[in-house]
Amino acid sequence: MSEPTGGETAPSPAPIVNDSTTTSGTPAQPETAAPPPAPPSKDAKTTEAAAGPTKLSAAELKKQKQAEKQARRAQAKSSGPPAPQKGPSNKEGAKSQKESKQSSKDDKSKSLPMRRRNSQPSVVTLKETKKESRKESKKDSRQPGLFFGHLYNQPRQHSIVGATKEVHPAILALGLQYSSYIVCGSTARMVAMLLAFKAVIDSYQTPVGTSLARHLTSHHLSPQIDYLRSCRPLSISMGNAIRWLKDIIIKIDPSTPEAEAKRDLISEIDDFIRDRVTAADKLIIDHAVKKIENGDVILTYASSSIVEKTLVHTHKAGIKFSVIVVDSKPLFEGKQLARKLAHHGIPVKYFLVTGATHAVKQANKVFLGAHAMMSNGRLYSRVGTAIISMLAHAQSLPVIVLCESVKFTERVALDSIVGNEVAPSEEVLSEGERQELLPLKPHLPAGLLTKLGESTDKAGVEKANSSGEVLKWIEASDNLQMLQVLYDVTPAEYINMVITEYGSLPPSSVPVVHRLSMDKQETRK
Amino acid sequence: MSQGTVIVAPGLSSFLKSLKTTPVEPSVEHFISLLKRRQIRNSRPCAIATTALLLRVVGEFKGRDAAKLVKRIREVGRQLTSAQPREVVVGNIVRRVLGLVREVVDENIDGETNATSDPGHPAPAQHDSLHRPLLTSSISQYSPLKHAAAEPMDASFQSEATSDSGDISKRPPLLASHTSYAASAGTGLTQSLFGIFSQPETPSASNTPTGQQSPIGKGMLTSLNLERLTDFSKSNTNFDLKAEVMDGIRELQDELEQSDDLIAANALDHIHSNEIILTHTASTSVQKFLLAAARKRKFTVVHAETFPHDHTATHGILLTGKKRENSTVDEADWKPLIAAGIEVYVIPDSHVYAIMSRVNKVILATHTVLANGGLVAAAGAHMIAKAAKNHQVPVVVVSGVYKLSPVYPFDLDELIEYGDASSVVPYEDGDFVDKVDVEAPLFDYVPADLVDLYITNLGGHAPSFLYRIVADHYRPEDITL
Repeated sequence: MSEPTGGETAPSPAPIVNDSTTTSGTPAQPETAAPPPAPPSKDAKTTEAAAGPTKLSAAELKKQKQAEKQARRAQAKSSGPPAPQKGPSNKEGAKSQKESKQSSKDDKSKSLPMRRRNSQPSVVTLKETKKESRKESKKDSRQPGLFFGHLYNQPRQHSIVGATKEVHPAILALGLQYSSYIVCGSTARMVAMLLAFKAVIDSYQTPVGTSLARHLTSHHLSPQIDYLRSCRPLSISMGNAIRWLKDIIIKIDPSTPEAEAKRDLISEIDDFIRDRVTAADKLIIDHAVKKIENGDVILTYASSSIVEKTLVHTHKAGIKFSVIVVDSKPLFEGKQLARKLAHHGIPVKYFLVTGATHAVKQANKVFLGAHAMMSNGRLYSRVGTAIISMLAHAQSLPVIVLCESVKFTERVALDSIVGNEVAPSEEVLSEGERQELLPLKPHLPAGLLTKLGESTDKAGVEKANSSGEVLKWIEASDNLQMLQVLYDVTPAEYINMVITEYGSLPPSSVPVVHRLSMDKQETRK
Repeated sequence: MSQGTVIVAPGLSSFLKSLKTTPVEPSVEHFISLLKRRQIRNSRPCAIATTALLLRVVGEFKGRDAAKLVKRIREVGRQLTSAQPREVVVGNIVRRVLGLVREVVDENIDGETNATSDPGHPAPAQHDSLHRPLLTSSISQYSPLKHAAAEPMDASFQSEATSDSGDISKRPPLLASHTSYAASAGTGLTQSLFGIFSQPETPSASNTPTGQQSPIGKGMLTSLNLERLTDFSKSNTNFDLKAEVMDGIRELQDELEQSDDLIAANALDHIHSNEIILTHTASTSVQKFLLAAARKRKFTVVHAETFPHDHTATHGILLTGKKRENSTVDEADWKPLIAAGIEVYVIPDSHVYAIMSRVNKVILATHTVLANGGLVAAAGAHMIAKAAKNHQVPVVVVSGVYKLSPVYPFDLDELIEYGDASSVVPYEDGDFVDKVDVEAPLFDYVPADLVDLYITNLGGHAPSFLYRIVADHYRPEDITL
């Protein structure tokens, strides 16, 4: 099923998805994909033995069939609007989720060997489980996160335990990759999602009595999307892609035979990836390469696959330049970028964001990737990008954003607070940092200590010297909290140029191009 | 040296301990090696160690020749500053002590020559008022501010200055020695400021020795000082130079000890209820400042953790109120902000811009304050200040006067120290370290225009006024050690 792309035009999934093969997944800002083995496509297939009906393992096949049967039955029974059917199943899911949380702590840790990447190793999963459940119970009493309170809706899903039965194995795998930042970066996430959807569509069978156009979106695709969302909030590009996909599904003529419709859909997805990502990237790189001259010092922040490709491409074109990568905790995405660029023989300097001032002084051009471009011309990107662009702007360095038009959105944003994605706060402190804090224990304020004493009593046998200890201190102290979000919004005035597949534009032209690309989509169909 | 007996990791406390038993020369060597190994670092420990050492140096000094004493201190000072030029505070303290010696000498000369010198004499007054600004400008000759503040307020402050002379013991000595020529430019203003801010405090709000001077004994502050020093040592033998200087150094120590509390006394003027305050790195001054405000008001603190160099200390200070588990001797027990009921949010440094739109005030800790009003602070300070400026959020810098340096930053890169790159990328990652150039600056230079207010133990100052305080605390002769 998903092989079609492989042959023609060196296109879509392969290059994008593979581009970070060098190291075990860490990744990246707006883009950069995945873990060593091309994640979504192959992973989905191999690890989960998923997808294509031909390749399914017996057990999974059964499971899947069951799921489908159940869905069909449920639908047949309710035969009403989708809502009632969806409700119960969701609740069921939630219940099972809760149950499993109580009962199967070990399960969880087992099911999730590589929950988070190495750069930020986390505490034993067991502890986290506990924490999560405790957090839930505490939620009302303790308003989390100052400004970002409105964003703490639900604890992030880090396992497949609570997933509803409809969720396709390929999606389950992808969800885990999302929540552990193995697939990271908005383009990579979108492409991975579309590839997984291909598997989903391929294994889909329209239940009797409905048409594919009616049933697929609301009953089969939305649980998948819900699951992905519970793993990590959808990126803007993903939102755009989902909207597009729903659109073409609805437009399928009900009279088309199911097999044909599915084939059409799959090839549409391939086309979409090819047009909006692969080809677009090529065009953007062609534009961007012209902006780099001999002797330039290019500064970039965190990691963007399109920036990386541009730099590598320029290097291969024989232009001599050097790169400064500025990075920040806790994801350290720039480390991978720096590693890859250095591997290609480009001179690379590496700074953390605290040294940004010094880094910007040495640079003469700034290239940034994007998570999204807002319609008011602002750039929504990895948190810290705004600092870099501000400093660069103050030094009158050109700030150039590389962004496919699929990441444009009609949404607007004024600051980084109203719309953002919060990340689990325990990621702020890495294992090593917690370790360093351990000797402080005897100096903790008395109130906190007594409280801790209670909680450890409650928790029972807890090793005092584990690094998870520190997290408990922080949690137990009412007034201390860690705060972490993933994105920030860069004002349009700091951005000199946005390079898209349509050409180079000022940030003010973003809404125009967005509309243009939407129109094009419409007319193409 | 006495490390043989002391098993503590070398640092400030072990140095202070050994100082009591070790002769001066080895102590100087010891301190130099500690500085070089960065086992004593950051402004406050350096300042404490330097004053303690100089106290010993003066104490062991044989002879009554002031010029020789100056020479001796200078020599030690040179050794220390060349050991670690970026700990500017060491140089500051040395200069302060040198100024102290000259002060003591001046007073005694004047005591003698008092009969001949007419306090109301116009000529010295004029000489003085012309001369002082010139001196300061030699510190900061490129400061755009030099002309602005130098001339205007001449006679307007005269009355105030004279009325002030009642509480002369509370005034820094340099100013005190001005009072008879009250017309001198700028003095009045400084005095009134000092008056305002030092009144409610303990007498040591003034920072250099004050006890010895008689209200009548006045001196000229001129470059004649050096000649006078030699003259003086020949002519005058019946006062105890050493004791007075040592008294002065002890007062300097008091100042170091109390500066945080004096700074904190201003807190309520600057922090209101329900404010959101952003700060960074681990600084006792800032923490005490916030704590002082926390006693009366509820506010929220957002703390950038200053990765990779200070984050451990930051988390430590937030959790326990101490930077490290072995807190230095001078730090009395005080509780962390969280125990005082203040909500603290720790953010990674990259979040500064995102959060800034909700922040009411930025409070920065500093490493060194420079004569032009700029400051050298922990890495990340510049981007915080810049983001604050772009959001029109006031930036307040909290710093003891001892961090105020007469050095003008001609070459900014000289002031920036680079730290251990392995805290950014561990050396285990050999592949990466081999190929990629990792830089980890420890400090940022924050230009004066990004700072709205300095709060020192003398009170609040505009950045443009700092050069004046520099002039009050350092003798121009000592600017170059």
